[in-house]
Amino acid sequence: MSTAIRGAADPVIRVEGLKKFYGETRAVDGVGFEVRGGTVFGLLGPNGAGKTTTVEVLEGLRTPDAGDVHVLGVDVVAHPDQLKPRIGVSLQTAALYPRLTVVEVLDLFRSFYGHGRPTDELVELMDLGEKRSTRTQNLSGGQRQRLSVALALVNDPELVFLDEPTTGMDPAARRALWDIVLGLKAEGRSILLTTHYMEEAEVLCDRIAIMDHGRILEEGTVEDLVSRRFKERAVRFDTIDALSDVKLSAMPGVTSVKHEDGAVLLYTSDVPATIGAVLDAAEVAGVEPANLAVRRATLEDVFLDLTGRALRD
Amino acid sequence: MKSFTRDRAALFWTLAFPLIFVVLFGSIFSGGNSDRTIGFADLDHSAGSAALQSAFDSIPNVKLVDGSEPDLLAKMRKGDVTAVIVVPTGYEATVTAKQAPADVTVYTDPSQSAADGATRQLVGFVLSEVNQAATGLPPAVEPSFQPVQTTDLTFISYLVPSILGMSLMQLGVFAAIPLVADRQKLILKRLQATPLRRWQLVGSNVLMRLLIAVVQTAIIVGVGSVAFHVQIAGSWLLIGSLILLGSLAFIALGYVIASFATTEESANGMTSAVQFPLMFLSGTFFPIDAMPDALRTVARALPLTYLGDGLRQVMVDGTPFSPLWLCFVVLIAWLVGCFTIAAKFFKWQ
Repeated sequence: MSTAIRGAADPVIRVEGLKKFYGETRAVDGVGFEVRGGTVFGLLGPNGAGKTTTVEVLEGLRTPDAGDVHVLGVDVVAHPDQLKPRIGVSLQTAALYPRLTVVEVLDLFRSFYGHGRPTDELVELMDLGEKRSTRTQNLSGGQRQRLSVALALVNDPELVFLDEPTTGMDPAARRALWDIVLGLKAEGRSILLTTHYMEEAEVLCDRIAIMDHGRILEEGTVEDLVSRRFKERAVRFDTIDALSDVKLSAMPGVTSVKHEDGAVLLYTSDVPATIGAVLDAAEVAGVEPANLAVRRATLEDVFLDLTGRALRD
Repeated sequence: MKSFTRDRAALFWTLAFPLIFVVLFGSIFSGGNSDRTIGFADLDHSAGSAALQSAFDSIPNVKLVDGSEPDLLAKMRKGDVTAVIVVPTGYEATVTAKQAPADVTVYTDPSQSAADGATRQLVGFVLSEVNQAATGLPPAVEPSFQPVQTTDLTFISYLVPSILGMSLMQLGVFAAIPLVADRQKLILKRLQATPLRRWQLVGSNVLMRLLIAVVQTAIIVGVGSVAFHVQIAGSWLLIGSLILLGSLAFIALGYVIASFATTEESANGMTSAVQFPLMFLSGTFFPIDAMPDALRTVARALPLTYLGDGLRQVMVDGTPFSPLWLCFVVLIAWLVGCFTIAAKFFKWQ
């Protein structure tokens, strides 16, 4: 299946000091990271963080203002043409000829490469069988995304770039795509994806870089990122007005207090002691804490902690 | 490079539009004056008036309708007859008396100037023959009509190469719209992420348009010669190279438009802004010599002027407006100029 399965140690992507400015806007401002072969790497961040610009430089679609970019061992800036036959690309906005059918688009794109996967196989993989003779202009948003991902696979690429692949998909379609991505990884391919869905990143990515304002704030495995910042777990409940932040932070084990969507998050090193204190304090105030839960810190917490705002702002 | 046979509607219009033009103009200008129906109200009922009637009747293309004066006038108002001739009672008597001229009333419609003029000429011609017969003298001067040089250059054979030129112009200039649309839809960007080279993309687009140009030429020339008997004289090599060069020049012009239009809508607008002046100022529908001086100066700068002129010269021995070599030189100049501009300003994203 895969044309070349690389050793896990070889980086398929190596980026150093990447900068791209648009006039005064510093879209990408000194980004560097490595992606190892056969892994899924996620660029995570809000809209406008510079994820797409970074990916488009890696794909050879944009020329950087500064930096060293090697993809699959090819210097992308100097020799983009050597790279293109070996990568698969799905742009953030599915770019499709509106009047061609699903099968026609796939065949057309396949004709650009000297090699590739059979169109029928891709149609089946992306569950587009019913739509194979439908013009792309008549596809739904999710179907267009799926076709766009299918187009990224026509040449049986070693490395696949997926820019916001699940945007516009319903939850079922999103899960189906996750399975496909994990399947690609199982075949030994490497995947770079951007997303602003934390859950997606947690499920799919071996390593993650969190981007904001053109920079990478933190990079590592999901486990790394979470435990590096939060050794504690979080006790969560709906906000109780009688309990001020001062009172909360004085509770046993609590290291920090955060608020999120009408709920309180108490990060604590001693979960039972903190819960006991919360229940006691609530009883004194004459209320019952609603939706009380304990959870491990998530990427969402990491992002909130790094940037001071929620990801989906 | 490969299959770009999308956009079936546009394809249809590219081919059908000029065809409609040829057929439309062809029918208007070639068969239009065949039937002239004239009302003839004979109030005299004499041998003289009957002779007059048969004189009119003998003219080809004229159909006489008998009737009373009010009836015929009513028909004329409805448009069934183009003119009404009334021969008054006592016509023959007046003619034989030779004292005063006999009075024949002719109703015409001056608002239809072409038909009106033709009717006046016709009536004048017949009456002068009658007058002459009445006087019994041989005519002092008699015109003898000899067709000269421009043998077969009817309006339709002027039109066929002109419309071919116009179609090639539109084919080229309209290249801008799908190109800008594809850019706007990020298709050009997506293609850039494939090994497809830019020259392959441009090459396939140009090649597709040239193929359509060949089909267009075949259809227009075919219809022109089968339906309207337009003779194609001249070398196919010259015709072919003019078509090739003209198409390329206008495709390059299309790419220039695509370089400056940012949205599909603006591409549409710019295309119209370019193609309409080209269509009407380049001698497509009427000769440039008939234009006022100022417009003629403009026409002299336009590429379609030279493509149309060249095609007319080569295809139907049309009267040259410029020497053929100049047509080639101007088209090459436009091609090179547009290519340079497009190469400099065209953006892929």
